Amino acid sequence: MAGFVIAHMYPDLLNLYGDRGNLLCLQQRMRWHGHDCRIKNIRLGEKIEYAGIDMIFMGGGSDREQGLVYRDLVGRSDEFMAHIEDGMPVLCICGAYQLLGISYIAVDGQVMEGLKFFNYLTRGAKNRLIGNVLIKACIEGEEISVVGFENHGGRTCFEDDSLQPFGMVIKGYGNNGEDKKEGIKYNNLIGTYLHGPLLPKNPGIADYYLKTMASRQGIELNSRLDDYIENMAHEQVKKKLLAT
Amino acid sequence: MRKILAITAGKIIIFLSRMLGNQGTDFPGRAARKIYPEILKILAANIREEIFIVTGTNGKTTTTNMIASILREKGYSLVHNTAGANMLTGITTAFIEASDLLGRQKFDYALLEVDEAFVPLLIKEARPRVVIITNFFRDQLDRYGELDHTINLIKDGVRNTDIELILNGDDPLVSHFHNDTGLHCWYYGFEDTIYDALESMESREGRYCVFCGHELDYRRYHYAQLGQFRCPQCDNHNPDFNFTANKLKMNPFIKMNVNDLVIQSPYQGFYNAYNILAAVSAARLVGIEDGIIQSAIAGYRPRAGRMENFIINGRRTVLILVKNPTGLNQTLSTLLYDTKSKNLFIALNDNAADGRDISWIWDADVEMLASEKARISHVVCSGQRSGDIAVRIKYSGIDSGIINIKSNLAEGIELAVGGPGEVSYILSTYTALFECQKILKKLQKDEKSGVAGQRQLQA
Repeated sequence: MAGFVIAHMYPDLLNLYGDRGNLLCLQQRMRWHGHDCRIKNIRLGEKIEYAGIDMIFMGGGSDREQGLVYRDLVGRSDEFMAHIEDGMPVLCICGAYQLLGISYIAVDGQVMEGLKFFNYLTRGAKNRLIGNVLIKACIEGEEISVVGFENHGGRTCFEDDSLQPFGMVIKGYGNNGEDKKEGIKYNNLIGTYLHGPLLPKNPGIADYYLKTMASRQGIELNSRLDDYIENMAHEQVKKKLLAT
Repeated sequence: MRKILAITAGKIIIFLSRMLGNQGTDFPGRAARKIYPEILKILAANIREEIFIVTGTNGKTTTTNMIASILREKGYSLVHNTAGANMLTGITTAFIEASDLLGRQKFDYALLEVDEAFVPLLIKEARPRVVIITNFFRDQLDRYGELDHTINLIKDGVRNTDIELILNGDDPLVSHFHNDTGLHCWYYGFEDTIYDALESMESREGRYCVFCGHELDYRRYHYAQLGQFRCPQCDNHNPDFNFTANKLKMNPFIKMNVNDLVIQSPYQGFYNAYNILAAVSAARLVGIEDGIIQSAIAGYRPRAGRMENFIINGRRTVLILVKNPTGLNQTLSTLLYDTKSKNLFIALNDNAADGRDISWIWDADVEMLASEKARISHVVCSGQRSGDIAVRIKYSGIDSGIINIKSNLAEGIELAVGGPGEVSYILSTYTALFECQKILKKLQKDEKSGVAGQRQLQA
């Protein structure tokens, strides 16, 4: 039995719309695969010991909270980006996804700087993009459907065509409601607007993270989990969306 | 003249919408306010004694109804808004419905449950004498932004008035209202109970001191962030209580003492014990006799979805409305207090009235179900999002072999009450609630006629 640690960045600040379900899902599934998995909470100002961390998770928060997080991370963003380049599994939801870009421009013109890891911009708008969403994503060469719930005012646009989205929108809005792109995929990082939470109803994505964490420790996950209930929930949302 | 017109129009709309089978709670008030914006102010002046309002995240309806039933038992006349109609329009409807056409009829008291966001406006229009604040939990996030915003809104609303506050002294988010309002405050709270926890497993709101931001030290948690707290930095701590509850027992029904008064109720769950304590505190302040308080609380029966009891298959079956993480946590902790083995049914819908986003089920501590104490023998997941609730329950760590999915409500409930548990708990979100209630009533009725038939045969 191996042991894994997932860093939950700023659980007091970034934790909206059931995002912690992603962590519960990863933790339980890793246990069902026969390994131990621990969640390590990282708070403002706390040192991130990358050597002892197998994955990083960041959720969404309000503007004020995102500002606090930006100030905490900006001084040490090079180190963070180096680990992303190195293949560290990272999942960033909603606000955290926006934070990885150049900046967020609010409706009133106020600019909130991003960490500038990727060349995309988010512009605020009055009406929020809210609803169930279905996308198709390509994970390890396999095309899979992904379902979730989005609720964001910001419209994110890639300024660089070489950026890969997490998936393409079939039903719903995605990054901006226009170009059909949803989220970003870079190495083992996914940034996305999908709440729901994302992983429990999309066990394929959850297992992608688990396998990546394991292989970075030189371990292979062989057991296949029974995903009858997860797949049923996935299909229920998919059916509902395709019927509209 | 416009007053009479507004009342008449309101009454006609109430009548018409009832005929059409609607509850008719907001629209009549809205129409009347269009015709005569001062209508609530004018009608509120017809209250002879006092206007009481109840606000806070949870427990508004139950607390308000209990106080109303005590005052009715005493023989007072009341204006009282119905469950959920707790914004200005709904409250205006309640006054119009109670009033005569001339708008001159007097009442002894008004008891109003008020949505947190409308407290300042209501104070301006209706001039209440007493504001009761039950608790503040995280569930209004979507509508009003952060919790501290809501709290400041209410604090601003009561400042510079002569209102008296009745406050939950166990909730660090409520107990600070004396500070910088200077108002007269009455506090209620619990002594140690056998149900207390020494560590919290629930939501993070309110764990930090409202004055200095330092993390609070808790000696005991009664329920969520309600408990005995002290700030190690600035010494903020529970106030001295005017109304102290002790000797709480839930077997599964509530029995406790409030100061020296023995209170018994057909309700279950710690959060209801808080509702009862708030109601008893208010009644004592009004000066109601002990015997009347006791009999009103003992006789106050739960209504649709607020722990309504049925007998099906000869076993107790309880219907409970769940609509947010706090409510679900309350319900699940009530299950833990019940020592019998249980069949559990949960219907999750995602219509507008339920909330289209069902991710809140992941903010609740469903993990409670996996504890041995919960004694869950059988789970049925139902409703439009039966899959999502089934996944949530699976990840709580419960044996996934006992989880069944039946999206159809009637089939799901039949499967649930036929399970091996000694009691059945039927949980439902709002838009499935009345359908569930109908199904349970029918099952109960079928059984009664079935039993009656058997008796005849034996005779």
